[in-house]
Amino acid sequence: MNEVKMLLDELAAVCANPKAQLDAAVADGRKCVGVLPYFSPEELVYAAGMLPFGLWGAEMQANESKRYYPAFICSLLHTVLELGLKGALNDLSAIMVPICCDSLKGFGANWKYGVGEAVPVIDVAWAENRKIPAGVEFTRSQFRKVLGQLEAIAGDRVSDAEIGASVAVYNENRAALRAFSAAAARRPEAVSPTARCAAIKAGYFMDRAEHTEKLNALTAALAALPEQKWDGLRVVTTGILADSPALLRILEDNQIAVVGDQIAQESVNFRVDTPVTDDPVEGIAQRLGQVEGCSVLFDPGKQRGKELIELAKKVNADGILWVMTKFCDPEEYDYVPVKRMADAAGIPLLAVEVDQQMVNYEQARSAIEAFAEILRF
Amino acid sequence: MADIYTLGIDVGSTTSKCLILKNGTEIAASSLIPAGTGTSGPGRALAETLNDAGLKLEELAAVTATGYGRNTFEGADFVVSELSCHALGAAALMPGVRTVIDIGGQDAKVLRVSPAGRLERFLMNDKCAAGTGRFLEVMARVLETDVSQLAEMDEKAKGVVPISSTCTVFAESEVISQLAKNVDIRDLVAGIHASVAVRTAGLARRLGVTAPVGMTGGVARNAGVVRALEKELNAPIAVSPMAQLAGAYGAALYGFKKKEG
Ligand code: SF4
Repeated sequence: MNEVKMLLDELAAVCANPKAQLDAAVADGRKCVGVLPYFSPEELVYAAGMLPFGLWGAEMQANESKRYYPAFICSLLHTVLELGLKGALNDLSAIMVPICCDSLKGFGANWKYGVGEAVPVIDVAWAENRKIPAGVEFTRSQFRKVLGQLEAIAGDRVSDAEIGASVAVYNENRAALRAFSAAAARRPEAVSPTARCAAIKAGYFMDRAEHTEKLNALTAALAALPEQKWDGLRVVTTGILADSPALLRILEDNQIAVVGDQIAQESVNFRVDTPVTDDPVEGIAQRLGQVEGCSVLFDPGKQRGKELIELAKKVNADGILWVMTKFCDPEEYDYVPVKRMADAAGIPLLAVEVDQQMVNYEQARSAIEAFAEILRF
Repeated sequence: MADIYTLGIDVGSTTSKCLILKNGTEIAASSLIPAGTGTSGPGRALAETLNDAGLKLEELAAVTATGYGRNTFEGADFVVSELSCHALGAAALMPGVRTVIDIGGQDAKVLRVSPAGRLERFLMNDKCAAGTGRFLEVMARVLETDVSQLAEMDEKAKGVVPISSTCTVFAESEVISQLAKNVDIRDLVAGIHASVAVRTAGLARRLGVTAPVGMTGGVARNAGVVRALEKELNAPIAVSPMAQLAGAYGAALYGFKKKEG
């Protein structure tokens, strides 16, 4: 148990202070590139010898950013912009900005205007029609363009062999994350929702190879723990982010374990490996066509709902918790069809709205408590 | 067999409600203090109810706390969400009810209750006072009247002055500009009630409305809002005279059921 706790604490400490990771990398002479969600080709940054640094917003009040974005834009973008405007991200050599939702579309321009040349923007475009050959080719060509910009920042050419090696590091990390997630689901008493989330999220701020090492040790330590019965509830989460400390604490207070997820920041990012192809950039583009379960992806058949229900059944979940990022329109659009699918499958689903700038969680607490009361009945 | 007394206390944002049930069916005493969580309200409601029932705390089989301030109330045997308690209480006060609309001081919720009176699903309003008791208080203040007078004023309305249903602040300035136009205040009150109804009906439709429909919470005492909501939903709405005490009733009932096993 001690080893499990020690490793979980280590990863939680990384999450609690991502800036320390950034500072340490810069002090080591390694360039860092900010990576905004979703599906930016992180592997290319890593292949160029730089550290991809995940930007998933922060629990803070955004003020300055409101000069550039209206208040009804998600906190993820408000708080990343706020950090940029305050100079907290000046050590980044660049920031990759995908343009996959209406709010993200304006981010690059806001950043260029507010933060300026201190941290240049690399626009990342990928094909909406991500599965068809023409879509894959478009994405591949765009990612090649991104690679050119990354090479200019790194000051060196990046070979296909280096990209292939980076893909291997990322695929190993994804495998480690999947194994950890499964182990955590078997040991809810040892891995709280907070600890589970932090162990996964830490990877966005660490060298992925180092993260893999820690995760593998953690999974092995979890496997060595004696069996224990879990009397609490088991839920599957879905959404963009489920890392709000207050929300995770409410789950713990109500004896609710997260036994699987379809969260963009979590499993959605590691469920599918990058295919190994002759042109490794094409493999990265192909992966985008294979990922499901995220509202920013073109998903006409609502595969997201089907996948979510299958997952809930597979892990024997009592219910589904939709962690709704406030003012996220892609999520709100998905909610209606997916909720109907869950209703038809007889799986209870609760949506709770969360905002990184929120200070009062009492309504979320009431809703989760009532949901737990329904599930326990 | 000795009688079983169970107490439910609903610590709300603006009021504290307390109720003692005898053997899970008969109301032994109840009280409502217009002061909510973080005030002397909960303590006073508890003392008043015990006093009226002629009981001591030790004589109670269970104390169940619910409402916004449930977690800060000390001495509860059970702490249960207000959603579950309102469902239980409403089903006991209005037998057969399937959809419960609860509008309290700070929030509005819609509950689907099973035929057996259990909470099946629910929706809560977002973080905005529009469509809640607070909204009506703000409007009453602008109209220089008391919130308890609104229903009567609505009764005498000849028309409905439309008021925005989306935001308390905007609605307040709309009301002020209507006052400047010298519109009949009673028609304005009808408009305010219609705006609450539109917002609440939207929430109810999102959950799905299954008849019969009942209403609980402080705003249920306002017949103007109930009428406007009936019109909006095109369905009759039952209101119990104990509507405001439904949460406390449900909490007391919860304690009784727990003790009964
Ligand atoms: S997908 Fe949603 S949460 Fe993500 S950036 Fe767009 S609006 Fe914000």
